[in-house]
Amino acid sequence: MRAVIAEDSVLLREGVAGLLRAADFDVVGCCDTADDLMLKVRSYAPDVAIVDIRLPPTHQDEGLRAALEIRAKHPSVGVLVLSQYLEVGLALKLFTHTAAGAGYLLKDRISEVAEFTSAVRRIAEGGSAIDPIIVSTLVSRHRDDDPLAALTPREREVLVLMAEGRSNQGIADKLVITLRGVEKYVSTIFNKLGLPSAGSDSRRVLAVLLYLRADAPTAREHQKPAL
Amino acid sequence: MTRPPSPPFLCAVAVAGLAAAGCTILLALTSDHIPEPGVHAALQVWGLLGFVLAGVVAWWRRPDSRFGLLMILAGGVWFLSCLSSANLAVPLTLGLAFDLVPAVVFLHVFLAFPSGRLEHRSERALVMVGYFTALGAQLAAMTLGGFGPDNLLELSPEPGTSGLIQRAQLVVLSALCVVGVGILLVRRRDPGRPLRRSLGLLIDTFAVALVMLAFLFLSAASGMVSGQVPFETIRRITFFAVGLGPFVFLAGLLHARLARSAVGDLILELRPNPSPKGLRDALAHALRDPSLTLVYWLPEFGTYAGLDGRPVALPSPETGVATTLIDRDGVPVAALLHDGWLAEEPELLAAVTAAAAIALENARLDVELRARLQELRGSRARMVEVADKERQRLERNLHDGAQQRLVALSLELSLLGSELSSDKGAQERLDRAQRQIAVSLSELREIARGIHPAVLTAHGLGVALEQLAALAPVRVRLAVETEGRLPEALEVAAYYLVCETLTNVGKYAQASSATVDVSRSNSRVLIEVTDDGIGGADTERGGGLRGIADRVEALDGRLRIWSPLGGGTRIRAEIPCAP
Repeated sequence: MRAVIAEDSVLLREGVAGLLRAADFDVVGCCDTADDLMLKVRSYAPDVAIVDIRLPPTHQDEGLRAALEIRAKHPSVGVLVLSQYLEVGLALKLFTHTAAGAGYLLKDRISEVAEFTSAVRRIAEGGSAIDPIIVSTLVSRHRDDDPLAALTPREREVLVLMAEGRSNQGIADKLVITLRGVEKYVSTIFNKLGLPSAGSDSRRVLAVLLYLRADAPTAREHQKPAL
Repeated sequence: MTRPPSPPFLCAVAVAGLAAAGCTILLALTSDHIPEPGVHAALQVWGLLGFVLAGVVAWWRRPDSRFGLLMILAGGVWFLSCLSSANLAVPLTLGLAFDLVPAVVFLHVFLAFPSGRLEHRSERALVMVGYFTALGAQLAAMTLGGFGPDNLLELSPEPGTSGLIQRAQLVVLSALCVVGVGILLVRRRDPGRPLRRSLGLLIDTFAVALVMLAFLFLSAASGMVSGQVPFETIRRITFFAVGLGPFVFLAGLLHARLARSAVGDLILELRPNPSPKGLRDALAHALRDPSLTLVYWLPEFGTYAGLDGRPVALPSPETGVATTLIDRDGVPVAALLHDGWLAEEPELLAAVTAAAAIALENARLDVELRARLQELRGSRARMVEVADKERQRLERNLHDGAQQRLVALSLELSLLGSELSSDKGAQERLDRAQRQIAVSLSELREIARGIHPAVLTAHGLGVALEQLAALAPVRVRLAVETEGRLPEALEVAAYYLVCETLTNVGKYAQASSATVDVSRSNSRVLIEVTDDGIGGADTERGGGLRGIADRVEALDGRLRIWSPLGGGTRIRAEIPCAP
């Protein structure tokens, strides 16, 4: 697995590179600007790029723009955006068309080494990862006529893990139940929410995410194109 | 302004006039050579009293003008001519000598209106010729006889020559009257400048009187005889027309007094701070002078300028356009260019000028106030901006400093833990430390967001509102329809507005859902937040709203709140935004 890292804090950059190497990743490039990142992605064709959302020079949206550009121009490269912002909107932006090969995690997650490296690996393999806090923000919203209310606590847990981008096996491991048990939960949840059953894990992520934010369907801010 | 003569003096003049009238009536009624003495006396008194009394009023009201004095003198001369009704030789002779002089005095009066002075040399020459003809030639004729036995001046009777002189006199006087009519008509027809109505009427009256005088003189010259019906008719009409002049003049004065009440209307009209054009029109209306022009003094250019901003030179008095300057503490502010005839109504002009000065002063104060408001608004906007920049800097420091370090520290602990996997106790303590760091990070994130929503500056309103909607205690339908990024200050204001409003919805509204709409139309951005709660929000309740209103107002925007009891709450901000 080949990874590049764009992060302007030396401490974090080296820390992330270190733990990825320890998890058998081949860290082919480290840099601290978006331009450098694009160059390294073109040169090394990595499996995954780990991008700090806030990069020099302005520390505004350079990181996100670079991430979106990689997703558009190099679909085979997975992109994990690391952020200090707990922002549903940013995650949704990253997953605009597909959740495949994309992830949005709070920087806090880095220290949960095993979870973090497995999320990076998932993204590199074309899966997805969404920060649990973002998912729980969406799930925990109070609604009177909420179809989520029809879910059992266990089903809720499965839904959250599904939205985080975990595979059925990942969910089974996490909840310590059988794979068949997870599959049963998933089909029940999809039935209760009236969602068509989705093929891949990442399609499932997008379907669940869009379902969860369904109250805010028209945020159409026409920004200047990111690309 | 010249002081008016003292009231006792004016009364004395009026009494003298009345005495003269009484004397005239007495002379006419006792006369042995006047046909129809009653009618004669009535016509004489009509003219005489008219001139004297109108003269007294004019002198009192318009002490600057010599016109009143001139009218009194005209009345006096008329009285002298009335002495010709007397039976005694001395007054009779005096009366005969002045018989024709009143006609010239009338010409003089008519031409000298309104100042009482003859402005042009030609007019002065005309009147001089008139006096010479009426008095000089009359004396000459009288020495040659033909005026009856009581003529004391008769030296060598040559009635033929005397008759010739008299006839020539009449022709010349009639010609002078015709010229006078011509002068009046030229004045009347002042191209491009509509004449004020009361003045037009007065000049017309003067002209008719002069025409009648000319006609009367021609009739006498052509041999019509005193006492015959046609001649007497002409004479009566002439006297009536001449005597009408003073009354029309008095009516004009009264009209001018009435016009001053129009100043009250003017001030009312000026109250809502008129535009320069509106001010000009109001002044023109109050002065009844459609030709009025209002020019403003431009100190930086040292010139007057019209409403279109073009420089205007003040006209010289010969053009018939008079100038009244409006100043404030001796500094020129503006000037009115108006009909020269307005000099005849100085009170009106003064009152209107004062009103204009007030209006101009108001306009100036208004402009000054607006400038100050603009300044205040600007400084408020700057204060908000400075505060925002400072918050942004703080948030940035937190992010680049404490947050990054804590994340790195947590990672370090985690790596350390994996090396100490054999020591269970140490492992547990490390986990605890890591959990505390996670809590600190979470708290820091909240604090940082509270200080400044960095995602807003970096990624725009849409992304930032998405999180607010996701965190909101009720279901929120969010619609952000804006083209491109908005100015930062506006985005920040909109963000805090939505943030504060959704917080209030959660606290008070008992709502089940809310909507947030951000849209842009023309040069405004509309931000509207509604909920389906209990309404009755009072603006004091959400103290945060005051701060939001300040932000909105600092951007020159407006914040409005509708919150009928039981009808939900709608908060709407309109903020100008250049397209």
